[in-house]
Amino acid sequence: MNKIEISVNSATCYKNNNLIFEDINIELKNGDFMLIIGPNGCGKTTLIKSLCGIQKLEFGNILINNLDIHSKNSEYIENIIYLGHKNSLNNDLSVQENLEYLSVFDSSVGSNNFDKIKNAMDYFNIYKYKDYMISDLSEGNRKRTSLARLVLSKKKIWLLDEPLSFLDNNILDSFVSLIKRHQANDGIVIASTHYDFSKSISNVKYLKMETK
Amino acid sequence: MINILIKKELSLYFRNLNNIFLPLIFFFLIISIFPLVLGPEKTLFNKIIPGVIWITAILTTLLTSNNFFKEDFNAGIIETYLTSDVSIEIVLFIRIIVCWIFTCLPIVIFIPIVSILFDITFQSSIVILLTLVIGTPILISIGIFGSALTLGLAKNNILTPVIIIPFYIPVLIFSASAIQSVSAGLPYDMQIYILASLLTLVLPTMPYLLKYTLEISINN
Amino acid sequence: MNISKIANLKFFYTKTQRISIYLSFSTFVLFCIGIYWGLFIAPEDYLQGNSYRIMYVHVPAAWLSLQTYMIMAVTAFIALVWKIKIMEIISIQCAPIGAFFTIIALVTGMIWGKPTWGTYWVWDARLTSELILLFLYIGVIVLYSSFVDKRQAIKITSLLSIIGLINIPIIHYSVEWWNTLHQGPTVTKFDKPSAHITMLLPLLYMFIVFNLYFLAVMIQRIRLGIYIREKNSKWMEDLSND
Repeated sequence: MNKIEISVNSATCYKNNNLIFEDINIELKNGDFMLIIGPNGCGKTTLIKSLCGIQKLEFGNILINNLDIHSKNSEYIENIIYLGHKNSLNNDLSVQENLEYLSVFDSSVGSNNFDKIKNAMDYFNIYKYKDYMISDLSEGNRKRTSLARLVLSKKKIWLLDEPLSFLDNNILDSFVSLIKRHQANDGIVIASTHYDFSKSISNVKYLKMETK
Repeated sequence: MINILIKKELSLYFRNLNNIFLPLIFFFLIISIFPLVLGPEKTLFNKIIPGVIWITAILTTLLTSNNFFKEDFNAGIIETYLTSDVSIEIVLFIRIIVCWIFTCLPIVIFIPIVSILFDITFQSSIVILLTLVIGTPILISIGIFGSALTLGLAKNNILTPVIIIPFYIPVLIFSASAIQSVSAGLPYDMQIYILASLLTLVLPTMPYLLKYTLEISINN
Repeated sequence: MNISKIANLKFFYTKTQRISIYLSFSTFVLFCIGIYWGLFIAPEDYLQGNSYRIMYVHVPAAWLSLQTYMIMAVTAFIALVWKIKIMEIISIQCAPIGAFFTIIALVTGMIWGKPTWGTYWVWDARLTSELILLFLYIGVIVLYSSFVDKRQAIKITSLLSIIGLINIPIIHYSVEWWNTLHQGPTVTKFDKPSAHITMLLPLLYMFIVFNLYFLAVMIQRIRLGIYIREKNSKWMEDLSND
């Protein structure tokens, strides 16, 4: 299996001259699950965005297998899937069309993936809504649609920003078992949350952030 | 992959038919305001019609491309673009082309009707059509670039046109001059060649430029 | 690496205080000499009379307006690619200076136009290009000022000014084209006075003085830009406490 090591070294980020977070150090390897915990406004979202490379750091760096994620031959972008707190869903497309469209942006899904998309929808119990427009769905079902991308994708590093918002408890169990399955497949999960759902998960690391 | 992208763009436009008809209606509305303001003399219109058509085309493209990325930005789709491992340039290119097909192509198709309204000769209307076909993709691309520049702002209603219109000037000058040349019986092929070379300069580079702009716009 | 950049800003800020004062003062003196040379010593033009003398302000201002845009775009490019802070500051501070030169060129052009063309404004190729250049500068300035986050603003405006630099020759060429197509009343060429060396020498001198002026204002504005950007940093507080 391909080995992946993520190391974040003294990461510091400013926005508009305000310090968002400073001196964050993280070491992760295959099978790890990291929870970023902290109150609102402590920079969880910004940290996750930095980890996907769409937010630049002021100081420090993020290395994957000892290669900076912004360097030319970094394979980082091939390995990550990012689920932001915005669902990245198009309101005027149905659930199925959205998943088809989003799987275009994930080369690990592959083509001719109708069955895979059906499985993914089944996994989060949204198959019955497959032809509903996103604008007609509840927030919870939108979140499920967004999470269904994780079932589809074969990427190794999951970056999840508040994956639990609007989710009810029975779907939480299947989400946790999805994370466990991913860990068993040597994957890495990084999730920000305000609610600790890691009780039954092994190899958990915590990163506690505080408001500056 | 490309067929899914095209299918998505087409279904988005077809689900809301307003997207197709509103630019066209807007175009005709502005065009018909000119006789109301300037009086109905046909000789006057023979002189100013290239300007009228092109100013209207500019307004239409500005309004349609102004918030091109806004909805996707608010939904988080731009973030998905930029964290994706497939080439986003293709996606952006397809989106530019589809945007042109649905906002400018209807105008091009309805140019014969404009010709009838303003008594334009057949030769002139062919040249008007030609300049619109070559020129409007440039306008749309530049307008989309402007919308990407101002994406990080909460409100950008009139800012984008203000920064973008100076970039429209060359297209405007060569198109209007081609139309005027043909109505004066002069050769117009030079202007068409220049427009075509501008198009071949702008269209292939624009997706790369857009990707870079989006990266900056999202990193706030 | 980043520490050296901050040190660079600090170095610039502390070292240029004296220089900028000397430079401003000597520019003023040299400017007065140039004005005297242009207005009183240089010979009268046998075609245009004395009205041509406004050229000694108009032509350097027009040159500087273009040159400033070029500096703005080139420093913007350097700032984007190599992420050098001082280049970012230089680039954005070029915009108001350039806009100022453009306005000077436009106003003096209009004043010259009144006795020459009988009207303040003629849609001639040079004036029109200059006007479009003013619009380009205004675009950069308003774009920069609409962003709250100035670091993002600087990157976005850098991009705009680079694209603008690519566009300027195209705009210029198209305006020339447009002008030859619509040749109105015979236009006297402005920058080709009967080129006598006694007339051209003060022009060259004024061009150099305008460049010095640009440098003096630039250094002042860079210092202001550094102050705004670094006012919360430790070295700036230490400096103000001294």
